[in-house]
Amino acid sequence: MPAQHLDLPQGTLDLLILRTLALGPQHGWGISERVQQISSDVLRIQQGSLYPALHRLERKGWIKPRWGTSENNRRAKYYELTKSGRRRLEVEEDAWKKLTAAVAQVLGTV
Amino acid sequence: MLSDLSFRLRSLFRRNAVETELDDELRFHFEQQLDKYVSSGLTPDEARRRARIDFGGLDQVKEECREARGVHLLETLLQDVRYGLRMLRKSPGFTAVALLTLALGIGANTAIFSVVYGVLLRPLPYQEPSRLIVLNETTPRVGMVSVSYPNFQDWRAQSHAFSKMAAVSGVSFNLAGPGSGLDQPENISGEAVSSDFLSMLGVRPVLGRNFDASQDQAGTAPVVLLSYPLWQSHFGGARNVLGRSVALDGRSFTIIGVLPPDFRWIEKIDLLEPIGVKANDPDFNERADRGDMVVLGRLAPGVSFSQARSEMEGIAARLAQAYPAANDQFGVALQPIRDVFVSDLRPSVLVLFGAAVFVLLIACANVANLFLMRGAGRTKEIALRIAIGASRSRIVYQILVESFVLAFLGGLLSLGLAFAGIRGLARLIPADMLSGASVSLNGPVLLFAAGVVVLCTFVFGLAPASHSTKPDVQSELKESGRAMGASVGQGRMRGALAIAEVSLALILLVGAGLMMKSLYRLLSVDPGFRSNRVLTMEMSLRTAQYAKDPARINFWQRVLASVRDLPGVEGAALGTDVPLTDNHSRTDITLEGMALPKPGSFPHPDVHRVSPGYASTLGIPLQRGREFTDADTENAPLVAMINVAVAHLYFAHQDPIGKRFMLGHPSAKSAPEWITIVGVAGDTKLYGLANPARLEVYLPFRQSALGDMTLVVKSGIEPATLTSGIRNAIASVDKEQPIFGVATMQQLVNDSVSTRRITLILLGVFGALALVLGAIGIYGVIAYSVAQRTHEIGIRMALGARREDVVRMILAQGAKIAGAGVVIGIIASFGLTRLMAKLLFSVSPADPATFAAVAIVLVLVALLASYLPARRTLRVDPMMALRHE
Repeated sequence: MPAQHLDLPQGTLDLLILRTLALGPQHGWGISERVQQISSDVLRIQQGSLYPALHRLERKGWIKPRWGTSENNRRAKYYELTKSGRRRLEVEEDAWKKLTAAVAQVLGTV
Repeated sequence: MLSDLSFRLRSLFRRNAVETELDDELRFHFEQQLDKYVSSGLTPDEARRRARIDFGGLDQVKEECREARGVHLLETLLQDVRYGLRMLRKSPGFTAVALLTLALGIGANTAIFSVVYGVLLRPLPYQEPSRLIVLNETTPRVGMVSVSYPNFQDWRAQSHAFSKMAAVSGVSFNLAGPGSGLDQPENISGEAVSSDFLSMLGVRPVLGRNFDASQDQAGTAPVVLLSYPLWQSHFGGARNVLGRSVALDGRSFTIIGVLPPDFRWIEKIDLLEPIGVKANDPDFNERADRGDMVVLGRLAPGVSFSQARSEMEGIAARLAQAYPAANDQFGVALQPIRDVFVSDLRPSVLVLFGAAVFVLLIACANVANLFLMRGAGRTKEIALRIAIGASRSRIVYQILVESFVLAFLGGLLSLGLAFAGIRGLARLIPADMLSGASVSLNGPVLLFAAGVVVLCTFVFGLAPASHSTKPDVQSELKESGRAMGASVGQGRMRGALAIAEVSLALILLVGAGLMMKSLYRLLSVDPGFRSNRVLTMEMSLRTAQYAKDPARINFWQRVLASVRDLPGVEGAALGTDVPLTDNHSRTDITLEGMALPKPGSFPHPDVHRVSPGYASTLGIPLQRGREFTDADTENAPLVAMINVAVAHLYFAHQDPIGKRFMLGHPSAKSAPEWITIVGVAGDTKLYGLANPARLEVYLPFRQSALGDMTLVVKSGIEPATLTSGIRNAIASVDKEQPIFGVATMQQLVNDSVSTRRITLILLGVFGALALVLGAIGIYGVIAYSVAQRTHEIGIRMALGARREDVVRMILAQGAKIAGAGVVIGIIASFGLTRLMAKLLFSVSPADPATFAAVAIVLVLVALLASYLPARRTLRVDPMMALRHE
């Protein structure tokens, strides 16, 4: 158990999901595991927000579902990035970088 | 966009597949997490517990996923509707009572609203009807009277408040003779109108043309516009009627057009003729001769009703000064055209609509009560759902949807009732009372019913909805027994609803009681004549052959002789101005030797022209002197009878027999024709049972013969069976003479009180409905409370309470509800019955006897409704009741 979890800032969940899926199709559990691993256990996604977010992104057409078989032979719902999802990811990444840079600048100078 | 739509549609229509996928997806996540904990070394139980905690509220996650899919609202609506239907099916008793209650409440309202809409709201089929005003003259001696043609002409010339004015004067014709193609001669009616009349209303003939200004002038050729129904029934709707001639009163009229099918006027109209045809008659141009004319005015742009009224009052005052002999004390009355159409129906319609709303409120209170009772059984279910993550607003929403499903089904059922009710109403209300207003189940009425359904949903849905979500989840889930299922608050709420039902029922019953007493008092009024087994019918001699007097008198004499010969006839007479009909003729008289008053203050009695035997046939008592005899002919001295009112007013301390009067005012030009009083007859209720008697004078018909008379026949048998015999007898005198207005005196009496009778019948029906619904309400509350208190009752009886004590305890609960309802209802009734004062007759709106009787009835019904469930406690076995838990 890591010492500290951070709550996800508003609006970053979509970005994290899209970025994770950019690496390849993945199911919901996989997405949350990967985010946790890569962030060294700092970021944790609650199921309560993950699945509604997935369904919302699906409805917007940025990701699309496909039923497949997991590593341990279970039927699982995989999501993959669509073309418009990829474009969306670029926009969101760009915005995030600008935001963090700006925030860092403010924190550094003031 | 398109993909979004197909996504939503899939979510909506492939609902089951989507739900299963969601379940599978979430289960997969749960199992993966479980595996992870197990492989990290936790025991299976511990791993499962952790995974559950991670997951949070499953219901909530699913709900949010559905919401994210964007079909949430519609989706949940459908789901709730299905759920609601399932709940209704699960408790058929509850559903049946609730639906029936609602159907009655909504149906009653829809039916009454069809009358409200047809009579009060539906726009009249005219252009800008709110700017149309009907004008009459007034005199303090009578009230509103017709307008004389010269006065109309001066009004029109002098007024600026009206952009246009038209004269509308009643006419009637005999339609008979060769070429009319009728089996039986007929009397038809219509109006003689100024040429502007139709264009002022914004009405165009569907066929042919309107009158033109030249036809306002005396001497114009006789032409007519046919009403659409007359065109259909008598001319087969043939388009070539234009230019054809029709024989009316034996004269030839040219048909120049046909009125549209939806055309309505205050009176029934078979045809229109130009006022110029009527202006040929010299009497018509007499300023003092007020026949049967109203004036229609259209307010000029920007002119208000009160501006128009003050201008017209000024004009009338000037005319009264300029022409005192004809106009002294005559004023002018203005009414919006809607008021003339509605006449005296408005207070009744509004009172009945109010009553229907009360019935609906009672129905809603009943259903809310049923919901609360069922809700009590469902508190645990709801508490459980809140515990697993359903939000309170979600549950309120669901209960409202359930209420809506119930209200909607109730509304559908009510349409059947409303349809039957509207047909019943249409039959109950005499056609002439509606002045052509149609009472039917039409678009606006259906819209109203839909509105009522929505309103009901909130009225009976909100209370239970807010109550169901109040209970504390923790304690509800912990409660083991069902005995505590009903919280104190819910019990209080149900009691309050039952009290409200009782008070509303009391108000309705008091209203019905007051109406009943009024009608009873009204029908007990001595009308001054006997209505038993008397038949009346009208005739109008209009053809040229009856223009001269011996012909008219001969006709009437032969009619009397042949009718008196018929078997079953005990007496027959002729008369004008028969009581309770619309026929009135009044004139000024001058008493011999009286100080001459101002022209507007002469005695102004109703004048009857009657044959010998008129008073005895109608059962009008003779107070002094004699009735007319066959000796009172045109060659005999002029004689008259007066009524008691004239005798009291003008011959207070003297014997009127032998005194003389003349018709009209004395004039320098001619010697007065004195008429000697030979008899005094009792007063009759000429203008309705509720109206005071007026001055009346009787003249022998042979000394002032008229073409229009009413035949009055007293029979020893059911009078209506004589009709065809009398028709044949009259046809044997002149087979082209139409007979119309056939009615028994009893019918005339009944018709004269029909507004009140209809109001009473409907109020009675609503009151009875209210009583039954209120009784069901009390029964429900008591029955439920008895069921809830079985345990307590068991303990009481185990401790030695007698069964009578227990029954008394339950009855006391019912009596408390009834008592509170009665007190509140009486207070409210004192305020509300004043609104129906106009409908009452010699009964105070706060009549103590009615209030007391209704209160007693309600308390008795309430006690009965409580006794039925209370009796059940007699069967409670204390041991069983205690083991109940």
